[in-house]
Amino acid sequence: MELLTLTAQFEWILGKSNYWASTVLLLIGLHAMISKNNLIKKLIGMSIFQTGIILFYVSAGAKHGAQIPIVHYGHDSHESHDKAAHAAEHAADAGQQVAEAAAPAANHAANHAADATHTLGETLYVNPLPHVLMLTAIVVGVATLGLALAMVQKVYAAYGSIEEDEVLDAIADSTADSTVDSTVDRTVKGTPEA
Amino acid sequence: MIWQLDLILLIFLVITALISLRVRDLLGASMVFGIYSFLICLLWAGMGAVDVAFTEAAVGAGVSTVILVATVYHTRRVTGGHKRASGMKVLSLLLMLVLGGVLLHASGDFPALGDPTSPANDHPVAQYYIEGSYQDTKVPNLVTSVLADYRGYDTLFETVVVFVAGIGILAVIGVPTARMRREEVCGDTAQFGEDSDLIILQTCRLVVPVLQLFALYVIAHGHHSPGGGFQGGVLFGASYILLALSGGLREALRRLSESMSFRLAACGIVIYAGFGLLCMALGSSFLDYAILDSILPGGVAMARSHSMLIVEAGVGFTVTTILFVIYANLATRGKLEGGL
Repeated sequence: MELLTLTAQFEWILGKSNYWASTVLLLIGLHAMISKNNLIKKLIGMSIFQTGIILFYVSAGAKHGAQIPIVHYGHDSHESHDKAAHAAEHAADAGQQVAEAAAPAANHAANHAADATHTLGETLYVNPLPHVLMLTAIVVGVATLGLALAMVQKVYAAYGSIEEDEVLDAIADSTADSTVDSTVDRTVKGTPEA
Repeated sequence: MIWQLDLILLIFLVITALISLRVRDLLGASMVFGIYSFLICLLWAGMGAVDVAFTEAAVGAGVSTVILVATVYHTRRVTGGHKRASGMKVLSLLLMLVLGGVLLHASGDFPALGDPTSPANDHPVAQYYIEGSYQDTKVPNLVTSVLADYRGYDTLFETVVVFVAGIGILAVIGVPTARMRREEVCGDTAQFGEDSDLIILQTCRLVVPVLQLFALYVIAHGHHSPGGGFQGGVLFGASYILLALSGGLREALRRLSESMSFRLAACGIVIYAGFGLLCMALGSSFLDYAILDSILPGGVAMARSHSMLIVEAGVGFTVTTILFVIYANLATRGKLEGGL
């Protein structure tokens, strides 16, 4: 009894593990985006945040004991068709000998064939929809990462640093300079009027 | 799904994520982030998301690591310690605690992982994609048929986003004057990889054509196996990046110049959107390929299948060229000369 509840608990934990992991990754990424001082670290945080979300979606589409989402249309269907055809032939042979017995046997074979295709259609496949959404998200993610890195390079070219506090100091300095410049301009402009 | 593997991978994922954020050396952080991407790619393969795993292997573990390294190379490699004690960190931790509490509490209501009857899996739309799409389109890879047919709008505009990102990079760090000069430099005949290591050069000379051939196979065979325009495009772009890394950027640009890249990228979108417009011209909705059976052979289902191939080729053009443009600009700070 005790053991059963333990395994049940364990299964419950396993059932949630991916969601917890995606939450943890999401939090790690978001925390890095907010608190890291270095711009490249912020971007790595952004990518981790993104994978956390992708993990959530892909986990939502997962199924136990399911096939990958590529329809298995090769051997099996042909085999079952062949089997059905064979069965039908046999039934037909039998039918030549015993006419009355033939019709139900052929029907049976046909039903079997139908059943075979039906079970093939019910092979469990993983839900393809989250995969589609996420694979395009990954490619768009690398494009946006590239754009963000370009901005980082631009920031470095302009302020000589990719540390947030140093960049902010540099911006503060430059704006202080420009306000001084503008006051100077105004006084220069002001003098002829006076 | 093998739960032991799943658990181990999840633990390693969290560890590598933390390491890549803790490490002071940014080059190391980029490398660890590449490992992180590779681990998550294994996780996805384990969950049956083969197409996602393929994309992640090519993008996360390959291209994004390269562009991170390129940026680290041109900026600063070591990040300094925090000079000021940031109140932001405390604030952020508080926010994370609250957010984490809410999310973990909410996860109690989620259906168990891998439950086939969960709302997401039981939804009629998802059911229809699994049951109906092979009859509709004769494409065994359900991800491809959903990507290029049922959700064609989505994919079209994702491709446009990639294209816009390429333009954005040009706008942010492109240096027009240096570009002019490069066009002149391109005129002289530089020897292929004159300053590269012999072994690297010869290896890449062998690998690049095989990689390009494989990329074309991935695009063309995406109907029957994992793959398609995005994955093949990333691989094709990666082949040019490899060429640039081994033989010099100038050599790679001689084969695929930047202006040509943008022309091809626009061409890809024109192919995709043009195909949608063609459907409209024939009297149906935008991107409704079924109407095209009047011009494509093999009936309605095969018309949809062929249309998907053409659309995927368009996606491939855009992704290939834009990834190369991203690399070429990031590796040279927008000057398109020199390089890593």
